Amino acid sequence: MGGITDYIQFVLAPQMITGLALGVAVVLVALGLTIIFGLLDVINMAHGEFYAVGAYLALALGASGISFWILLVIVPLVMLPVGYAVERGLIQRVFNLPDRHVTTLLLTFGLGLVIEEALKIIFGANTQRPPTPISGAVELMGVLLPSYRLFLIVIGAAIVIAVALIINKTTLGSLVRAAAFDSNMAASLGVPVKRVFAWTFAFGVALAGLAGVLLAPIYSVFPTMGRDFIFLAFTVVIVGGMGSIAGAVVAGLLLTQIQAISSLIVPPVWSDPLLFGIMVVMLVVRPQGLFGRLGHG
Amino acid sequence: MADMSSRSQKPVDRLGLAMRASHVLVAIFVVLGLICAAIGAANQDTFFLRLATEALIFAGLALSVDILLGYTGLLSLGQALYFGMGAYISALVLKEVPSFWLAMGAVLVASFVVSLLAGMVANRVRGVYFALVTFGLAQVAARAVYNTRAIGASDGLIGIPIVPINLGFGTFMSSSPAPFFIFTLAFIVILYLISAYILDTPFGRILVALRANERRVPFLGYSTWNARLAAYVLAGVVAALSGALYPMLRGFVSPELLFFATSGNAVITVVTGGVGTLAGALYGSVILTVLKSVVGSMTEHHLIVIGLLFMAVVIFLPKGLMGLVRPRIERMLSGGDR
Amino acid sequence: MTAVLSVHDLGVSFGGIHAVNGVSFSAEPNAITTVIGPNGAGKSTLFNLISGLIRPSNGRVMLRGMDRTGAKPHLMQRAGLGRSFQITNLFFELTVLENLRLAAQRLEPSARLWLPVRRSHRALARVDALIERFGLASKVGELAGALSHGEQRRLEIAVALAAEPSILLLDEPTQGMSHADTADTAKLIRDLAKDVTILLIEHDIGVVMDISHHIVVMHQGKKIAEGAPAVVRADPAVQAAYFGHA
Repeated sequence: MGGITDYIQFVLAPQMITGLALGVAVVLVALGLTIIFGLLDVINMAHGEFYAVGAYLALALGASGISFWILLVIVPLVMLPVGYAVERGLIQRVFNLPDRHVTTLLLTFGLGLVIEEALKIIFGANTQRPPTPISGAVELMGVLLPSYRLFLIVIGAAIVIAVALIINKTTLGSLVRAAAFDSNMAASLGVPVKRVFAWTFAFGVALAGLAGVLLAPIYSVFPTMGRDFIFLAFTVVIVGGMGSIAGAVVAGLLLTQIQAISSLIVPPVWSDPLLFGIMVVMLVVRPQGLFGRLGHG
Repeated sequence: MADMSSRSQKPVDRLGLAMRASHVLVAIFVVLGLICAAIGAANQDTFFLRLATEALIFAGLALSVDILLGYTGLLSLGQALYFGMGAYISALVLKEVPSFWLAMGAVLVASFVVSLLAGMVANRVRGVYFALVTFGLAQVAARAVYNTRAIGASDGLIGIPIVPINLGFGTFMSSSPAPFFIFTLAFIVILYLISAYILDTPFGRILVALRANERRVPFLGYSTWNARLAAYVLAGVVAALSGALYPMLRGFVSPELLFFATSGNAVITVVTGGVGTLAGALYGSVILTVLKSVVGSMTEHHLIVIGLLFMAVVIFLPKGLMGLVRPRIERMLSGGDR
Repeated sequence: MTAVLSVHDLGVSFGGIHAVNGVSFSAEPNAITTVIGPNGAGKSTLFNLISGLIRPSNGRVMLRGMDRTGAKPHLMQRAGLGRSFQITNLFFELTVLENLRLAAQRLEPSARLWLPVRRSHRALARVDALIERFGLASKVGELAGALSHGEQRRLEIAVALAAEPSILLLDEPTQGMSHADTADTAKLIRDLAKDVTILLIEHDIGVVMDISHHIVVMHQGKKIAEGAPAVVRADPAVQAAYFGHA
């Protein structure tokens, strides 16, 4: 009996909390991705790179003395105009072509490549790690939990709830949803569709950047971090359902927990194939994901 | 008057015309390739010939991407899976038995089986889901290879022996740069011709129809599932056979052959060359190799140049480079009566 | 005289709503059977059920005496069913010639799939015949997307007819056509009935009364009347369905 409670206390619970912390960040990234796809019908292969940009900005600005708490605010704010410019300047150009899904995929794939290389040029190829803003640990029911990860979970949850509320309950959110549902109708009703689309994309990008800031102290910062992350993000979006916020949340938390717990049982190299297997099973059994509707894609 | 009406009676098979234009371009490609071989051999420039051969091998991978993207309309982000598989199987066979034909045969059979099985999974979905499933399949395979000691893990396999290639009318060694270059050129052109032939058959036209309007195809009486699976298997085999030549050229294989960068490069090659032209895969591969070499010698960061170029092509030149050239050739071929 | 196509108690429901509910009728050989009804009556859904796009929740579809309920579209086509669409569903990037050839290809034995296209003589001959019959000779080399609306609608019918089906399902073939084109198309359909059985969805009452041998009236998923044109026109239930509610 003692062995099991020890296991839970010292191995399982910390692992689950780690998984939860990662899960919250994954949800933030997946949220941006699913919003961009669900509302704009655009597949953003560069999304992982925006996550990386957020992390690198945190690194650079943090090194010049700006406090972490300020970074949490200014990095997403800085990324908003970047996202806006990308959408207006690049994506809008190919948006109305017949092969939209393929073309935006290719375009953003190229963009991701460029961003990744730019990061490598500017910051070098080495792995770097910004300092942890909240050090130490907290004891909760006999389990020792790193304070920063707890903070991450709390703030991440708050942001996700805020996003869900904005999209579903506010006028702004309904404008976006109207434009997404029928852009011609929305335009004729006076909704500035192009700008709404651009701001939505910018918002999704800012969320990814925010996740980058939050995760950088834990997972370090390196040029290919975006590419490694994007697969997980897309898996979450597919399992949860493309375009579904609830799906991104549930799938994001679930899959990271599965990943965390399974790495206690099998060698960690198998956790990716495991997640991939889940994605494939989902695509075969229920292609619209847990919460999605087969509309887009 | 009678002359005019008999001419307009001949219906224009545009797809056939487009394919003939591609043939012209490939013929030019072959001529240019032979000239390069001659120059390379005359100057004893082994490096140049080897680089050109490598470009051709990757052209085969690009061809497999075009079969799926340009014809069936399926974007596969994981063709490197088959390319790498072909390379590894070829390497493993050659290390045991240095027989060219045995290696190729093994690759042919293995890639057929694997692409059939993988295709049955991947083809349950389309569009971006298909792209992600193929991406995932390649990632999983790459990781599996990377972590398997028995096939060299992260170091890959080295010490692939030099192989005599017996074509019936003559034999040459895989280490001879000029003959191997010409052989690879012929090999890739044969893959091209097979692909082009298939696209001129009713089966191939169904693939074209899938890209044009998949929803209507079942009402023609054909199962879209069967057609897509067949295209996927064809593409997998083409990629694997191309990959099989890699260890013969370089003498080693590594897990990088299965990484996303390899698949991604193939997609860039096809898009730059011209999706759906088949010839674009060949020209694109050579152009990209040249670009990488030239830019790479000037700066370490050639990928950013290629990335920007690629984005420019996607936005401004959606039909790729062949898209600029082919219509002119089509006009010449159809006798200029447009 | 055995019917070419018959449906028995056919129905499907989506989330509790019966889009089609217990519909039964048959299409006699070489006759034109027309399905009419106000918008939302379930006519296109009926076609989708018959042609295999949607799986019925209940009922049966019999084609040439064989039970084909729930058969996928490509199998229905092979069983002898040809179908055109209300919203033009051609291969717009391909030429008129290629559209027709693709549709006629099924006339060739399967082995021909792997020989060059120019060797499919029977299919190509069929294409020539269709071009002639549908008056598309001058447009043969054009992309289907470049045709006028009326020409596209005609091509829709030609494509559905290409593989010599036993029954032709035409979903609002005159949709969006000019008056002259509509009259021409009605005449064409009447002509076609000599060779093939036709099941038609049509909104233009003039056309319906003119060319139909048999009419089936649908309303809110159910069949409410059936019979010869004159009979149906006089039926009070039909009048109520169309005009009863403002």
